Amino acid sequence: MEILKVENLYKSFVGAEDVVTGVSFQINEGEVVALIGPSGSGKSTLLRCLTLLEKIDHGSIFVAGEPMVTTSPSGRVTYAPDAELRKIRLRLGMVFQNFNLFPHFSVLRNITEAPIRVAQMAPAEAETIARQLLAKIGLTDKADAYPYQLSGGQCQRVAIARALAMKPDILFFDEPTSALDPELTGEVLKVIRNLAAEQMTMMVVTHEMAFAREVADRVLFMDKGQIVEEGSPETLFGTPANERTRTFLGNYNLNSGS
Amino acid sequence: MFIFEYFAPLLKQVILLGTGALTTLRIFFLTLLFSLPLGLLIALARMAPQKWLSAPVKLFILIMRGTPLILQLIFFYFAPSAILPEGLRFTLPRFSAAVLAFSLNYAAYFAEIYRGGIESIPQGQYEAAAVLGFTKSQTFFRIILPQVIKRILPPVSNEVITLVKDSALITVLGISELFRVARNEANRLFSTSPLFIAGLFYLFMNWIVTKLFDAAEKKLSYYR
Repeated sequence: MEILKVENLYKSFVGAEDVVTGVSFQINEGEVVALIGPSGSGKSTLLRCLTLLEKIDHGSIFVAGEPMVTTSPSGRVTYAPDAELRKIRLRLGMVFQNFNLFPHFSVLRNITEAPIRVAQMAPAEAETIARQLLAKIGLTDKADAYPYQLSGGQCQRVAIARALAMKPDILFFDEPTSALDPELTGEVLKVIRNLAAEQMTMMVVTHEMAFAREVADRVLFMDKGQIVEEGSPETLFGTPANERTRTFLGNYNLNSGS
Repeated sequence: MFIFEYFAPLLKQVILLGTGALTTLRIFFLTLLFSLPLGLLIALARMAPQKWLSAPVKLFILIMRGTPLILQLIFFYFAPSAILPEGLRFTLPRFSAAVLAFSLNYAAYFAEIYRGGIESIPQGQYEAAAVLGFTKSQTFFRIILPQVIKRILPPVSNEVITLVKDSALITVLGISELFRVARNEANRLFSTSPLFIAGLFYLFMNWIVTKLFDAAEKKLSYYR
């Protein structure tokens, strides 16, 4: 079943790079899609459009078949009514590069606050779920800690648990390891890898090529606001068809030595 | 006997000044009661993207911070009866005029402190809250404001300490607060000692204010 469908999406900013110029793709249930490309290619903007952090200029987005935003043939962009949008938003989870944990809440409360306040879950139930998630990310003993007491990798794992607590249909990751010291990326990637094994639907913007190759079912390569090439990790990393993909991956291997 | 003769007049003075201090405390608490929430509203209006809202608020803040508080006290007491058209003229009771002037003046200062605090919260906090589905008001009151309060405690404590001392300005409206009572006593006795005792009163009040803010800061030091 298709969870996300994007048609001909455009988004630009006044005087800024990182635009999206006509992007279409879809993601099926249980699929892990890696989105790679040079910085400024529009990856983050695309993710921000999909998670309603930015309003699109043109195009359509469907979540589990329901229209989140559509564009009429005359070019009129219409978002779903607020009540619908709120429901759709709950199907979408997001993990940020800088974690964005709430510093004044304990780890546990970071995870339970949205289920209780937004999803109207009973506090006891929310706590049970939160503790299960903490066990899953290996931070059972940190339930009462505050974010400032955690390492970057621990913070990011909590941020993943916080997103999962809302039981999203699809989880987006915006460069989840880019703000971490190299020795801390492994623990975060492990959590994502485990989620992939559980058939969690995910879209991951990443610069970790080895990880993308290992975990993704499909890889999208984006450059200058467009999806230039799309394929299985074997094809895209092994025998990239497009010149720009080759150049990008070539630079990457050269720079990272991986 | 000697000790009694020495301390009896002093005790009398302290009690007299204490009644003045009660008036000072009344204006102090009423000003905080009105100016702290009003300052938040002014800060939000000041940050509004709509120019019709932010521009007049900016002007208001400029005037309230840019003119002497003592002048504002005189204005709110005398102006309604002087500049309004015939028939609409009225005069506020002295004390109400004082509370009004203080509340508006301090709200303007608090507004700028709130604004600084709100703008210092990273955009990522709003985005994380939005993606989790929090409403705008939940985001503001549960996520943003608690963090703002922690950050603005030191500048707010500055203002509150200043307020204790500024309360002496209402003497200009002839209200018998601590400073006026002390000065009258000083004139009557040809002695400066009532003024120094008044100084100790102010110092004591601000010692308590300082202690309270220290406690609040400590209470919020559980996170960074």
